Amino acid sequence: MKRIYSSYVQSAPVRRPLKIFASDPMVGTTAPRRISIEVANEPNMVPGPSGERIEVMDYDGAHDRFYPPLDLNERAVLMQNGLDPTESDPRFHQQMVYAVASKTLENFDFALGRQLSLRRRGRPKLRLFPHAFHGANAFYAPDLHAILFGYFRADRENPGQNMPGQNIFTCLSHDIIAHETTHAIVHRLRRYFLEPSNRDVLAFHEGFSDLVALFQHFSYRDLLRDEIQKVRTDIRRDGMLVRMAQQFGEATGMGRELRSALGKQVSRLDNSIVEPHRRGSILVAAVFDAFFSIYQRRIADLIRIATGGTGNLPDGDLHPDLVSRVSEEASRTAQTVLVMCIRAFDYLPPVDITFGDYLRALVTADYELLPQDDLGRRAAVIGAFRNRGIYPRSVPSLAEESLLWEENPGNVQDLPMETADLQRVLLVSASNVSRQVPTSKSSTKKFMAEENVSDEGVELEINKEVVKILHTWATQPENMAALSLSPAHKVEVHGFHPVYRVASDGKLLIELVAHFAQQDRTTTEEFGGIPFRGGTTIVASVDGQVRYVIAKPIATTNRDGEAEARLHELRTYLRELDGADPLLPYGGPTYTANRMKLRMNLAALHGGY
Amino acid sequence: MSQREVSIRMYNVGFGDCFLVTIPTDDGDRRILFDCGSMAKGNKSIEEVAGQVIGDLGASPKIDVVVCTHRHRDHVSGFAKPGWSDVDVTEVWMPWTENPEDAEATRIRDGQTRLATALARDLTLRLNAAGLADPEKAQLDADFSLVENAQLNESAMETLHSGFKRREKAKRRFLPETASSGDLVTRFTTEALPGVVIHVLGPSRDEEIIRDIDPPAGKSYMQLSDAQESGAGDGIPEPFSSDWWAEGMSPFVLSEDDKKKIRSFSEGFTSPVAAALDAAINGTSLMLVLQIGDLHLLFPGDAQWGTWNAVLRTPKWKNLLRRVRFYKIGHHGSHNATPIEFVEDAIDTSLNVIAMASTRAFGSWKVPLPELLTQLASKNAIIARSDRPTDAPAPAFTVADDVIEARLSL
Repeated sequence: MKRIYSSYVQSAPVRRPLKIFASDPMVGTTAPRRISIEVANEPNMVPGPSGERIEVMDYDGAHDRFYPPLDLNERAVLMQNGLDPTESDPRFHQQMVYAVASKTLENFDFALGRQLSLRRRGRPKLRLFPHAFHGANAFYAPDLHAILFGYFRADRENPGQNMPGQNIFTCLSHDIIAHETTHAIVHRLRRYFLEPSNRDVLAFHEGFSDLVALFQHFSYRDLLRDEIQKVRTDIRRDGMLVRMAQQFGEATGMGRELRSALGKQVSRLDNSIVEPHRRGSILVAAVFDAFFSIYQRRIADLIRIATGGTGNLPDGDLHPDLVSRVSEEASRTAQTVLVMCIRAFDYLPPVDITFGDYLRALVTADYELLPQDDLGRRAAVIGAFRNRGIYPRSVPSLAEESLLWEENPGNVQDLPMETADLQRVLLVSASNVSRQVPTSKSSTKKFMAEENVSDEGVELEINKEVVKILHTWATQPENMAALSLSPAHKVEVHGFHPVYRVASDGKLLIELVAHFAQQDRTTTEEFGGIPFRGGTTIVASVDGQVRYVIAKPIATTNRDGEAEARLHELRTYLRELDGADPLLPYGGPTYTANRMKLRMNLAALHGGY
Repeated sequence: MSQREVSIRMYNVGFGDCFLVTIPTDDGDRRILFDCGSMAKGNKSIEEVAGQVIGDLGASPKIDVVVCTHRHRDHVSGFAKPGWSDVDVTEVWMPWTENPEDAEATRIRDGQTRLATALARDLTLRLNAAGLADPEKAQLDADFSLVENAQLNESAMETLHSGFKRREKAKRRFLPETASSGDLVTRFTTEALPGVVIHVLGPSRDEEIIRDIDPPAGKSYMQLSDAQESGAGDGIPEPFSSDWWAEGMSPFVLSEDDKKKIRSFSEGFTSPVAAALDAAINGTSLMLVLQIGDLHLLFPGDAQWGTWNAVLRTPKWKNLLRRVRFYKIGHHGSHNATPIEFVEDAIDTSLNVIAMASTRAFGSWKVPLPELLTQLASKNAIIARSDRPTDAPAPAFTVADDVIEARLSL
């Protein structure tokens, strides 16, 4: 091949720089707060911007009109790394939602070790509507498979730093975009985490979405340096790094940011905290505490060097080199913690998550990758969760070995990895994460079975043959008991994927994750339109040997009392929600019968900010 | 009456509250009136009931303490009757949110009233629109009743703030009061009621609970409404000048169905806002326990989950609730004004609690909630409903003149 045709010469740039407000227009008045970030240079980009998995559609439902789409490949746009940040040009808004949503998605791809598909119900892409409606709200609407951003006028009496009555665009808030994109991704990973089956489920959705938004702040170098200088390395000092959605909060008359990573309002978890954002903010605070302690340990040497061992920083500005090095540590630590947080997903049960489950998943996932906790990060996480009052159910202590999920407690048989179809899944997935295979071949796509739908109408991303194999395997009587599945209820296979990760010792870790789901509809009416769900996640090694069984049983099994305890939790929680629901006395029978289903709605959930 | 019995008279106002409590003291009988209002009448109009109450007070009518639990019409409308100017009242108690000199209270109150006015205007327009389907009309009617109930009843509030025989000289107290130390006074006694200890369990001044009585849903609704009032079209802000509007064909492939769904998010939803406003005003309810010797009487007004939750999480108050022998069933027996935790964990079955609900069936509202009455009964509570006087079990209750009376020995 002639050199001129070589892939080295021919390949398109890998990354595309795009400008955004690092936070939002209100605080984004100076250079470090208007930044340029890099996202993948997607090969088939069309105006919207619309790429492989994300598509911006600028339809304004309040005025029933469109705003013209931005072409990121237009020369004038390319030449200046995308449009400059501005409130007045809708095309910049399109660019910003595209850039921040892509960045968020990339964080998930990286941490999960596979490229997530955002296909849903025949829609190949997640849609972003930057000016969808009038209102101080933004949310992911699963039925539209879209994130709708609202716009509104700033409060006239108490607008904070905004002008009274000025237009506020939720689509220009970095944190709101990242938060909503995370909702969409979490919904893609765990479709039942929007069903409020205990106090923690919706709170997890909210808290986790805040975490992703928060840790992305630390990946913006210029912003980070500026802020580290301002807070003199103490990132827990109230500053831009820990504030979330500052403009939105001030514009709605709160007199402060919407939420903070510091857990200022509530510090410890207890059962009286029910509102999902408040409850979720405790999860955020716990993870942030862990992050802070790891960061402090990592910069201790730098501070000693800079201060001749006294630890007392001199008055005045810090040395720019010190700021650079400290920023680098902050950024690296944030990335590590964010990856840990996302990676835990593969170790979560398919339904009914609690904060305690999340802690166990965090610890197990990290342990599998790095058995030795050299950097003390697991210890930091466990300590932080303890300090915030987050305890898992039925573990004897908070020691690392008690927190790890139980290893195959019922001796499930190995997965039949020798079957051709399961082998093929491994190959296809490996090619999907491989650098040299930029797009999957059509045969690959076909194998991944886009239109496959389960008996219960659940859309699956798995080949039909693979579903059959896994179903046969899981429903063998001895496996069923060991997987805590109920023989009286149908078992559905809801997911199967391999995960490829490189551990810090350079070894490749390959794991197989499968989800099985069950439901009991006899209580659906009592529970306001949602069934009582159960399910099991298994994590197996590449030879098919099952390592972990993470179960939420719906019937009494060998894990005695767990199903009953979950039902009890659900009933208690339902009662609390009913108590706080002003519509219930006046809503009529249709409302009562569907009230839980209606409460799953993120539009309503976010309407109360 | 007997020296050693407290009497509680529940008047049949229809959908509303009116309770007259008489307490024997060393200094003669003392009277407390809890509310007098109705939003849907019973056998008599609220004016007639108010007249009946005043008549029951005797030749020189005197009430030691009038309690206005909250400003909903179904709790205050009876005070609009002129006859109250003959009644000698020593003290008037209202929740702190009614204090005209408290800036935060004024802000919340004004906000609630403005919201009620705006909602009423909006609902009237919609109700007058042609071609309403029956279920839609029924929903709007129900919303309208809620909103009407929330609208300011000026003459009633005037009586409470500056009326009665002694006019301004009757002492107005806004509870809980703030001590000179800055602490809230949640337990006090007064010369007007010798031998009675008053515990103020709500409304709280906690930021989180205030959020419930000043809901964001109402704020955003008001923004739109304000803009409409000031003549700024439909009140929806214009995000970009017409330079930026796409012309001609749609630049995106988007189905009409999807467009319709997206448009629906810009349309106002009045039902949730009306319900939020109703809960907000109920949330300002004064929640009191009167303690006379060992006898504890609980009058929660229409307190909502926020107040109840705070009370149930406070050990000293939960202990107080365990000693309650009389319970005025909150909010006419709706599901969210009597937490199950209170019924299950606090009601002492050995006390045979006397419970009274002032209520009547109304539209499709689930009031009173049958499950609640069953649960109370399972805790050995003896229950009377104002709309079913003949069902009130003797000897706990006596009935005369549409009034159900309970007597509790001291």
